[in-house]
Amino acid sequence: MNLVLEIQGVSKRFRTQRNRPATLKESFIQRLNGRLSRAAGEHWALRDISISLEKGRSLGIIGHNGAGKSTLLRLVCGLGRPTMGTIRYWGQIRSLLELGSGFQPEMTGRENLLTGGILGGLSRREVEAIQDEIIAFAELEEFIDQPVRTYSSGMYLRLAFATITHFNPDFLIIDELLAVGDSRFHQKCLDRLKSFRAAGKSLLIVSHDLDQIRASCDEVVVLEEGRILMRGDPETAIRSYYDVMRHRTEKRRAEIEGAHQPIQGNRYGTQEATVTAFRLFDGEERMTDHIYAGAPLTVELDYLRLNTVVDMACLVTIFNENHTKCFETFIPSVHSASGKLSERGSIRCHLPEVPLVPAQYYIAAGLFPTDWSFAYDHHGQIHMLHVMNENGISANVSGVLMVRPEWTVRPVDPS
Amino acid sequence: MTHQLDLILNLARRNFLLQFRGSLLGLLWAILLPIVQLIVFAFLFQRVVPLGINNYPVFVFTALLPWNWFSVSILSAGNLFIVHRDLVRRPNFTPSTLALVSALTNLLTYLAALPIVFVLVAMSGRAITWTVLLLPFIMLIQGTLIVGLSLFIATWNVFYRDVQQITGVAIMLLFYLTPVFYSLERVGREYRIAFTLNPMAVLVQSYRAILYEGTVPDWSELLIASSVAVAALAIGYLSYRREIQEVYDFL
Repeated sequence: MNLVLEIQGVSKRFRTQRNRPATLKESFIQRLNGRLSRAAGEHWALRDISISLEKGRSLGIIGHNGAGKSTLLRLVCGLGRPTMGTIRYWGQIRSLLELGSGFQPEMTGRENLLTGGILGGLSRREVEAIQDEIIAFAELEEFIDQPVRTYSSGMYLRLAFATITHFNPDFLIIDELLAVGDSRFHQKCLDRLKSFRAAGKSLLIVSHDLDQIRASCDEVVVLEEGRILMRGDPETAIRSYYDVMRHRTEKRRAEIEGAHQPIQGNRYGTQEATVTAFRLFDGEERMTDHIYAGAPLTVELDYLRLNTVVDMACLVTIFNENHTKCFETFIPSVHSASGKLSERGSIRCHLPEVPLVPAQYYIAAGLFPTDWSFAYDHHGQIHMLHVMNENGISANVSGVLMVRPEWTVRPVDPS
Repeated sequence: MTHQLDLILNLARRNFLLQFRGSLLGLLWAILLPIVQLIVFAFLFQRVVPLGINNYPVFVFTALLPWNWFSVSILSAGNLFIVHRDLVRRPNFTPSTLALVSALTNLLTYLAALPIVFVLVAMSGRAITWTVLLLPFIMLIQGTLIVGLSLFIATWNVFYRDVQQITGVAIMLLFYLTPVFYSLERVGREYRIAFTLNPMAVLVQSYRAILYEGTVPDWSELLIASSVAVAALAIGYLSYRREIQEVYDFL
């Protein structure tokens, strides 16, 4: 076994009283009251975590907000000491924790790159040697001598990502990465991570983006309330993550008054925001649940929200009858997409074409808090969508994706 | 080791330049501020309340620059870890580096204005003697003092924000108890001990001996000041070492 990281029985306790800066006066009063310790309450962020990671493997950590992911990552990075247990690692760790931290907005990209490199453990000369390569990777040749404050957030992240990944670490820690730039650059980042793994380096990834976890991890750990809920292959782990979400939603619903009555079955949620109507339209804006393969489709849902809900995310998924996800899209924040939420409103998702083979599909749609920690209202596979055969297309198709096959058969000369 | 040096020098250079980014006069500010202070002092104690000191501009300036180095460093020490939270929370970064970086950054400001002292000395017709070679040694003692105090203040201010308030008051009082704009000869013998124990008073006197009088500083007093500085460094570093894990949790 060739371990790069070994976490053994790690627990972490935070003292809750010290969540805000105390003043001397307060601490004197506490002493007078006979409470000599600085702690009033305590909170266990992690309990008995054991994880080991072999060289060349990549491990994903998923879990809801407050499940202890960040605490675990920070301990691995050596920030703070575990209350119990030990963490050992071999080789050089680099982290993408707080990507671009330590960048100074007033300094130019080149200066920040140098500082970042030296902070990352290189000597000044080493950074200068690979500087051009980093700038080329970040595609910032034109802007590198401008102050970083003039950068778009995409440019900023590109520089940060390029800087850190070029320092040739043995072990890379990535926290919520890869909302980096456009999709082409995103792909470049993923490729870079892939080449890391190919070179026998290890990754530890924390992300909310489950598709990314699925794509880049060999194994996934699900954290819930500071404990390891399970460790397994990505598919199994992600399924149990969804179970946790459902479970939390039910727990929360029990605590909330004034929410709309829940409907059982494939629908779940706290109903703090409710989908009051769900409609499908075809290309001619006719309400229908039948469309032709490759034709446009619009999903529309009306919502009603409680005052406590100021923002939400909206998700639309198409499943086939085998419950395979065919397509999914979401807006991470309705508020930032369209401004302040009215009490009632409707959200439309227009798909210019739906290239699915003719069959029956289900459309799932839901409203979630922006951290996705539970569901306001999720319509599982309730709403049907029938994709029909368009005239002129052969019916000899199956699978998921609809493309127009053109068969040719021709004889080959025996000579 | 060379890497740590690279890191410290780079951060100090960056922080030094950062102070002047976006300003029209840029680096000139490093010189302008002490000059304005100098003009005010010269006006006050040559015209309004004459102290009868020869070459007063040189007299004040030799003390003012190291005093500014000290006070600016100490006043910013409280927020050292708080402002640089993103650095403190970086893996493989040693937060105590920040105290060194801050001392070095403000030393650069001092060094940038030091040529003016030489110009003033030359203009007054005095000669600069070989004692100038002792300057780095005095600066080393002052640097030790600054780093030690900064570590102590930076660490405790994370938990108790009062520390910074206390520091502010203390620096203000210390300014009057340090012979920056007046001469120690005016102070009665019975109070001298307080100035001997104040390392900043000793350091200021030493700078003045070297640059203004062209003589060798008082070694026995310097020995006391160095002891205080080393003690400050030890106490600062120990409290930093003891509390740094809590600082991580707290930030």
